[in-house]
Amino acid sequence: MSVTPRTLRRPLAMVWLPVVLFVVWWVGSAGSTSLYFPPLSEILSTVWSGMRDGDMAAALGASLLNFLVGLVIATIAGSALGILIGENDRLHSALMPLLNFVRTIPPVAFVPIVILALGVGSISKILLIAFGCFWPVLLNTITGIKDINPTVREVVRAYRTPHRLRLTRVMLPAALPQISAGLRNAVALGIIMMIVSEMYGSVTGIGHYILQSSQNFEVTKTWAGTLVIGVLGYLLTLLSMGLERLCLGWYFQRPPGRLRLNRRVRQRSKENR
Amino acid sequence: MATIRLSRGSARKGSALLPSANRLAQFGCVLAALACWQLVSISGLLSADLLPDVPSVAGSFVDMLTTTDFWQAMRHTVLDALRGLVAAICVGIPAGILCGLSAVTDRATRVLVDVGRSFPPIALIPVFLLMWGATGTTKWVIVFISCVFLVLVQAQYGARRIEPMIEETARSYRIPRLLYFRKVVLPSSTPSIMTGVRLATTTSILVAVGVEVLAGISGLGEELALAQQYNESALAYAYLLAAGLLGYIVNEIAEAAERRLLKWRSAASGN
Repeated sequence: MSVTPRTLRRPLAMVWLPVVLFVVWWVGSAGSTSLYFPPLSEILSTVWSGMRDGDMAAALGASLLNFLVGLVIATIAGSALGILIGENDRLHSALMPLLNFVRTIPPVAFVPIVILALGVGSISKILLIAFGCFWPVLLNTITGIKDINPTVREVVRAYRTPHRLRLTRVMLPAALPQISAGLRNAVALGIIMMIVSEMYGSVTGIGHYILQSSQNFEVTKTWAGTLVIGVLGYLLTLLSMGLERLCLGWYFQRPPGRLRLNRRVRQRSKENR
Repeated sequence: MATIRLSRGSARKGSALLPSANRLAQFGCVLAALACWQLVSISGLLSADLLPDVPSVAGSFVDMLTTTDFWQAMRHTVLDALRGLVAAICVGIPAGILCGLSAVTDRATRVLVDVGRSFPPIALIPVFLLMWGATGTTKWVIVFISCVFLVLVQAQYGARRIEPMIEETARSYRIPRLLYFRKVVLPSSTPSIMTGVRLATTTSILVAVGVEVLAGISGLGEELALAQQYNESALAYAYLLAAGLLGYIVNEIAEAAERRLLKWRSAASGN
């Protein structure tokens, strides 16, 4: 019995402010007759019925499928190319200015071009999401590979570690923290690309749902869709952070710092000789 | 083995010592990319709407620079992005430091900050369009929301990451709060804050262009979307290049500012 208050204190300290704000929103908007700010209770019931009846759930499903396919393509392409560029010094120094320029083009600017050329179907959405997610993954992989301590490289070379072993046991693990940081940025950018592309031109998807309802002045639905996107973004971030903890437990268990990481990598490469 | 390694080492040194060769390679890469682009567009693999050929884009770009439409659009994009960015910095830095300084505020705001950070503000466009219409207000408020959490989170990290030893030393000497804030909190969180400001700067342009594309609010994004709608994809690509150049320049400025403001840091760590 005496343990309960202690274990509860931490979550309580994290939860009280959001709960207070939620209550304030709920009470403050309860009697609202304003067109733009419907009561929170109505918004939530719209979310509930939309999820149950399926129009919102179907839109959300279509969006998520495109998002996942785009993200997977971007992750594979980005990390493969990133390892290639990060490993090759000459390629790196020759390509970086070009990459740095292309990266600064706002990816959303491609939305009208791609959608008007390829149509409103899934392919243009997947292409746009993959394009948006590709850059953070690529650039972070390059940095991750570049930042590997030269000593580690020397050791690996001195032991004549085979290429495949070097890639899977040294390079990838060492660059993984950086790659997963890139992946988290990619998730955030991917959601933006998903919504922008659906709002620009689409027949389905959660972005389309929001736009459509606002054009019909169904503001409650607009708020409901916006709320769902917020929750979705948060859940995806939590999910990617959880995956990161799961895959990189060995990294987070140690105090931050490159030295520790490299010692670990060095141990691994020794084990593998 | 030894000889191979020697030659490799010297080759690496050679490329570092000869900046002109490096420049040549970089230039070659840009040319190669342009050549690939041209080849793909000539081959007809992708339609001309999706990828117009290089000369027509270059021509459109030069023509575009002489139009007032372009400079007006540029002004709108830059000013609104700047307005949202400045507001985000003014709100985000104090709020972030406040949240990061004490464990109570840190925990209480954690969920809110995480939600806010992962929320895509672009989704608010329809709501804001209903409230304010297709105006600059809609644009800069969305830029503000997108940027404020970036700055806030970095400021929070910075304030949280004060070395315990320094904190304890300050406490045992009973350093006054204001002095502690000015001499310890601010300097030790500046690097992190500057990272946030740099990220927010590039984000502000990205979001501004995105809002323009979607909502038809005057700016580079709107011109781009209009050009593509009128089947002038060469002009659309010209605007795309302009948006990229703007992003590049803004990024360079932000990086230079970061380096300049943090000069003391490298000097201190060098000692």
